[in-house]
Amino acid sequence: MKKSKIFASREKLAGILFALPMLLYAGVFLIAPVVLSLFFSFTKWNMRSTPAWVGIDNYVNLLTDSVKYPYFWHSLKVTLTYSLLAVPMTIISGLVLALIINSIRKEKLEGFFKVAFYLPVITSSVAVAAIWKWVYDPMYGLLNTFLEAIGLKGFNWLGDSKIALFAVAILAAWGCGGTMLIYLAGLKGIPDQLYESAKIDGASSFRQFFGITLPMLKPTTFFLVVTTTIGSFQVFDIVYVLYGAGGGSYGGPDNSLLTFTMYIYNHAFRYEQMGVACAMSFILFIIILILTIVQFKFLPQRYD
Amino acid sequence: MKNRKRLIIKFIAILVLSVLTIVMVGPFAWMISTSLKKSSDVFTEIPTLLPRDKKTGEIYINFKNYLNVFKYSGIGKAFLNTIIVTFSATVLNLLINSMAAFSFACTKWPARKKIFALLLSTMMVPFYTILIPMLFITKSLHLYNSLLGLIIPMGGSVYNLFLMKQFFGNIPVDLFEAAKIDGIGWFGLYRKIALPLSKPVLTVVGVTTFIWHWNSYTWPLVVINDPTNYTLQLQLSLLVSSSGGRYSLMMAAATVAVFPILIVFIIFQKYLIKGITLTGLKE
Repeated sequence: MKKSKIFASREKLAGILFALPMLLYAGVFLIAPVVLSLFFSFTKWNMRSTPAWVGIDNYVNLLTDSVKYPYFWHSLKVTLTYSLLAVPMTIISGLVLALIINSIRKEKLEGFFKVAFYLPVITSSVAVAAIWKWVYDPMYGLLNTFLEAIGLKGFNWLGDSKIALFAVAILAAWGCGGTMLIYLAGLKGIPDQLYESAKIDGASSFRQFFGITLPMLKPTTFFLVVTTTIGSFQVFDIVYVLYGAGGGSYGGPDNSLLTFTMYIYNHAFRYEQMGVACAMSFILFIIILILTIVQFKFLPQRYD
Repeated sequence: MKNRKRLIIKFIAILVLSVLTIVMVGPFAWMISTSLKKSSDVFTEIPTLLPRDKKTGEIYINFKNYLNVFKYSGIGKAFLNTIIVTFSATVLNLLINSMAAFSFACTKWPARKKIFALLLSTMMVPFYTILIPMLFITKSLHLYNSLLGLIIPMGGSVYNLFLMKQFFGNIPVDLFEAAKIDGIGWFGLYRKIALPLSKPVLTVVGVTTFIWHWNSYTWPLVVINDPTNYTLQLQLSLLVSSSGGRYSLMMAAATVAVFPILIVFIIFQKYLIKGITLTGLKE
């Protein structure tokens, strides 16, 4: 009895002490930066100077002044186009892989393919950029050699402004192993009885797919579309390694790869306009917030 | 008849998967193959997977690119830096997240639910929104351009905290009660009961954090500007943008950067794949 009383009084203290390191960390490196970012977005600031208050000028100028910020809308368009290419490619390849793997019904083989297809996901984006720069090489790269061998014409994949964005989106689809795993889990969750009764009714496998599999995977698909879109709106590493590092042109051929995050980076670290960069980063936050709210609103809370 | 049809479908599925394996794994094989070639044998009309001398047609293995990469590009130091940063950050992460998870799941104190909700809400904020103030704070704490600046600002993760809290919350209360009767303190409960029972979640979180830190690029890019503090990814990106067409060198460096993660992944793949499916589905 006594002991448990001591416990209760000590519980508060112990609880707070155990949480303290994380609370300190989160306060300094997660919560304070959000507040500061919002504050800096209303200032003119280069990280060394004292921030000078400019009100909503940064936002207004970004949205309306096409002379000062000629690439703001362009970079949004690039990011949107990239997402429209990368998201469907990633989701569809992930689904197709999951469907084929699920159809073999052999655990050992399944494990092997899962590991093989997941490899690109655990590879760093810098290494992915390095490997594909070589595969995409216009003269001796594997891809063009292969295309020429089967009688097609090769492309200057990363250097031609018309297809560079597409070529980079392919790298995102190469990492569809994560999507595949989540789809596989979704497929395993579909009760077998549904297929059995469909078979008794004489439904073809085509009908089974569109009548059972796809509708049952709807929550999974919705979740994946939103999270993949949020991810692709923040694409940076690969684009920066391919086009920005080492004093490159920073936006790819004809700025066709000047994504929103690249534009933030340019303003922050090339032009030293930290205030403007913070305003842009808050616009990014709002876009992603809307996507998150959409997800919470339309996704059924429990589906596992 | 039906069995035969099913067998054919299975055969086609495995065939298709094998072709896809080439697409997914092929670039890695090509990376390793190129890294073992002499630079004179890299550019060929017909690509060869095994390093083959252009003139004599002999098949060989040559580690010179690796030697050169270690000798001239500073990748050895970068490798060491990466190991230091990755290990320290992972340990720090496991420590402060598991402590906080224990606090939120197993103890009661005022306002803990509100604080936890506040922490969870930070997951919605994109990294690029807080990047600049984070750098500013890191500079103010005199951590700029140091390995500590890569470790401490990345020392916690709300996502990991969330996973661990879920797990700790499922430990039967009876276990704690029994230990309390035995006169064990709160630290004992954390150290002797919560932690040992949570090995699966600690492994998943530990390995994913390890891989994440090893591969991390944007944060080191803005925090480090002195080449002696470069991480592997920074060093590799420098080679990618500056080595022109010397692909054999670039691929050797890429192999060095990818190989340790490959080993970690193959050892822990079962845990990882389970973890990803779980967390992915439950958000």
